Amino acid sequence: MEVRKTWSRLRRELDLMTGTQTLLSVFILILFLIAPLFLMVEEAFVYKGEASLKWFFDIVGDAEFVSFESRGGRLFEVHRNIMYIWGLDHGILLNTLLVAVVVTVFCCFIGVSVALIMARYKFRGKEALRILLLVPLLATPFVNAYVIGKLFKPTGGLVNFLFFDVLHLLPWRIDIDGLFGIALAQTLSYYPIVYLNVFATLMNIDPSLEEQAENLGSKGFRLFRSVTLPLSLPGLAAGAIIVFIFSMEDLGAPIGFLGARANPLSRKLVSYQIYSSFAEALAGGISPRTYALAVIMLIISVIGFVAVKQYVSLKSYAMLSRGGRWSPRVRKPPLKYGCVIYLFLISLVFAASMPQIGTVLLATTNWATSGTLPTEFTTKYLNSLATNPDVTRAIINSLMYSGAAIMIMVLVGASIAYVVARRDIPGRSLLDVFATIPVAVPGIALAVGYFLFFSRNFRGTLLDPLTDPVLLLIFAYSVRRLPFTSRAIFAGLQQIDVSLEEASLNIGAKRSTTFLRIVLPMIVSNIVGGGILSFVYSMSEVSTSSTLGALREDRMPITFFISQIVYGVAAVGAVSIGAALCVLLMSIQILAMVISNLILKQRVAFLGV
Amino acid sequence: MVEVALKEVTKRFGEVLAADNITLKVNNGEFFTFLGPSGCGKTTTLRIIAGLEFPDSGKLFFDDDDVTNLPTYKRNTGMVFQNYALWPHMSVFDNVAYGLKIRKISKEEAKERVQKVLNLVNLAGLENRYPTQLSGGQQQRVALARALVIEPKVLLFDEPLSNLDAKLRLRMREEIKDLQKRLKITTIYVTHDQEEAMVISDRIAIQNKGKILQVGTPTEIYNRPQSLFVATFIGGGSLLEGIADKVGEKIQVKINNSAIQGTPSSDEQRIKEGDKVAVVLRPENFVLEKPRSTSNQLRGIVEWTAFVGSRTDVRINMNERRLLIHAPPDIMIPVGKEVTFYISQEDTIILPMEEVS
Repeated sequence: MEVRKTWSRLRRELDLMTGTQTLLSVFILILFLIAPLFLMVEEAFVYKGEASLKWFFDIVGDAEFVSFESRGGRLFEVHRNIMYIWGLDHGILLNTLLVAVVVTVFCCFIGVSVALIMARYKFRGKEALRILLLVPLLATPFVNAYVIGKLFKPTGGLVNFLFFDVLHLLPWRIDIDGLFGIALAQTLSYYPIVYLNVFATLMNIDPSLEEQAENLGSKGFRLFRSVTLPLSLPGLAAGAIIVFIFSMEDLGAPIGFLGARANPLSRKLVSYQIYSSFAEALAGGISPRTYALAVIMLIISVIGFVAVKQYVSLKSYAMLSRGGRWSPRVRKPPLKYGCVIYLFLISLVFAASMPQIGTVLLATTNWATSGTLPTEFTTKYLNSLATNPDVTRAIINSLMYSGAAIMIMVLVGASIAYVVARRDIPGRSLLDVFATIPVAVPGIALAVGYFLFFSRNFRGTLLDPLTDPVLLLIFAYSVRRLPFTSRAIFAGLQQIDVSLEEASLNIGAKRSTTFLRIVLPMIVSNIVGGGILSFVYSMSEVSTSSTLGALREDRMPITFFISQIVYGVAAVGAVSIGAALCVLLMSIQILAMVISNLILKQRVAFLGV
Repeated sequence: MVEVALKEVTKRFGEVLAADNITLKVNNGEFFTFLGPSGCGKTTTLRIIAGLEFPDSGKLFFDDDDVTNLPTYKRNTGMVFQNYALWPHMSVFDNVAYGLKIRKISKEEAKERVQKVLNLVNLAGLENRYPTQLSGGQQQRVALARALVIEPKVLLFDEPLSNLDAKLRLRMREEIKDLQKRLKITTIYVTHDQEEAMVISDRIAIQNKGKILQVGTPTEIYNRPQSLFVATFIGGGSLLEGIADKVGEKIQVKINNSAIQGTPSSDEQRIKEGDKVAVVLRPENFVLEKPRSTSNQLRGIVEWTAFVGSRTDVRINMNERRLLIHAPPDIMIPVGKEVTFYISQEDTIILPMEEVS
């Protein structure tokens, strides 16, 4: 009886359209997310055909990976009038975790401060600062870290020139490089993620909650500590875990610093180790130890992400008690604080925009070779985007991959969003989970999984990365950015009253007709918005591009090409061409933001849980 | 146009019973209303008829066809939603013509039929407007036109007037009633407004907690409620508790020291001597002069009066039991005075006591 009822319900719910949508989504998620990762995890736990933790013990027992004593590096050491800030080498695995923790703490501190100022104070020029604070989100893969490395050179670096040689503000020259340099570059790029998440939470807190606390006599830091901060913790946690994951899997900063300074300490990170193992992949495959490394990273990210998601859904009480007057608590700061705010925000904006400014300078002047300051403008690097065949090929490659990925993303994203939002089939919440989880899957772990799974099971076919990595790149982009597309479409569906669809069904339209004629026209702006955003992300995707993309030269996407240039191994040479490519990426990104802001009248979605 | 029959229809949402073993028949061409408090399951029942929900058990028939598992798009019902559900990206014409396009009706014929139905609902000339450019009443008419144009077997209304202001509501309900009488479409209507239900319906089903408590014409339901819930939900009135004293064709109820004679409302003889019973007294049934029919005589002290235009409301304290009486508007009764008043035994409704929630 029960079975028959479930079956008849299922037959009703699973009409042709829902069936197709579900099957397509499940198929793509299994083949391009679950199966590769599953095989990778399985392989990491096997030694000589038997279940074993050997590879993990290998890693933990090897001082190269885990060392509680410093194996080198310099941290706040002064030699010959130079203060060295490199960080200490505690082994590849510990280094990665330490850098991620430091970056997360820095980002939280800066992000919360900025969010509080922007959410609670009004002052002249706030709108301009609001935009400038988002400059670090503009993608300048690899080149951003290169610029920071260049600026902090002890001799010839602009920062030292300015603050030591000219202004005499520093007692010694400072040399920021290695792990600390990477942490600095990541902090400057990632703090907006925390800022935006916390800001959104702060704007959603019922002002009367803070007013009530003030009314009871709480103010200043006490008010912040006892009411404001606890209420904004969900946003903070969401931003923090994303920063943590991004930092762990980041390849841009290590390679950028290596390109600028060639300090071997910058290699001592898991992401770089996995990246370099792809170079050996062409010769003879990847060692199981690399699988184990990727698995460790995957497990840490997924557990962190799931825990935070759980926590956020438990704690989203801040907006429960809405009611009454809803005027945000925005006030003018007193003069003294006003000055502090300006000083903090302006120096932050300046510091955090250095990579972008530097990238533009590299692309438009002779700064790459001129020393401390550029001496003349040139358009030859920007011109090379159109004239240098290698460069143009990389651009066209990336445009094509991202374009194809968008189509898959929209198709699968819309299917998942629709099934999850509207249909009552068993396992749909699982579908939702698997459509969200790619946020937590480090790109390099996915790349390793793809390499293993597809080169083993699809040898010689178009899905074999050693034959042609194009399809895998496209699907990697699609799966990695799927959450953004499907979330955007899901949000659109939630705005539409179900009765609009029911009216159509009732009048005699089938579900597919209803979807095409009623639902699609109403969510088209969400689809375009989500699509544009995902296109931008795909164009600047780093992790799978620089690993899978390395497997065949004529298939390289922009980001892999940039990494080769910055690293100094590409034939094209000068880093300025890489910078010119970054300028192109930034332009595409700005254009996309303008389009989704002005034409679609919707705020650019940002990274969140 | 069909006859709609529900047979032992049950639908459960988790712990909540939205439809509890409902069996009833809506006649061909009838205007039938489900009336009940919010959350009683009336909308779910309507959605089961529309095919937007499916019963856990039981069957649904349109004439002799079992449509229980038929998807909504194959049932040919026309539903008017509470929020009208007009598609914002389509003009009035496109909204109304949608069902015809689905049915692959030629452009010319569709145009003609849309024109005709728009004339019917007094919307001619607004074809090119978009839903956001219409007033609430106009949107309502578009929704109605959209449901009518496909010539449905059954017309379904889910609280269609609840989003309109009071005056418009009165006008629209008359229009809907008129239209239904002219077109003779079997119509099933859902509302929580008892006056609306009384005005518009041929028959009403009172639903509470998923159960159908009574089905009948408005007069039957008002004058002969079969349960305390129906008696108190439909029409105002005072409630007196007492013990059944003598049970026969009439029932005598003992309330403290006095006795009231009344008519058992329910068909079944459920009341036995010694049972706790409730006496329902409608305020408009009281008179201040002794009527010719056999009546109950009551006495009490005027506690409070209020002139409300068409009548004067008088609250009377009868040994600490309060009764509300509708007196003629021109009457002047001083507060504190003891008065005698009457209610015919026919209008004195006696029901078995039950828990009213």
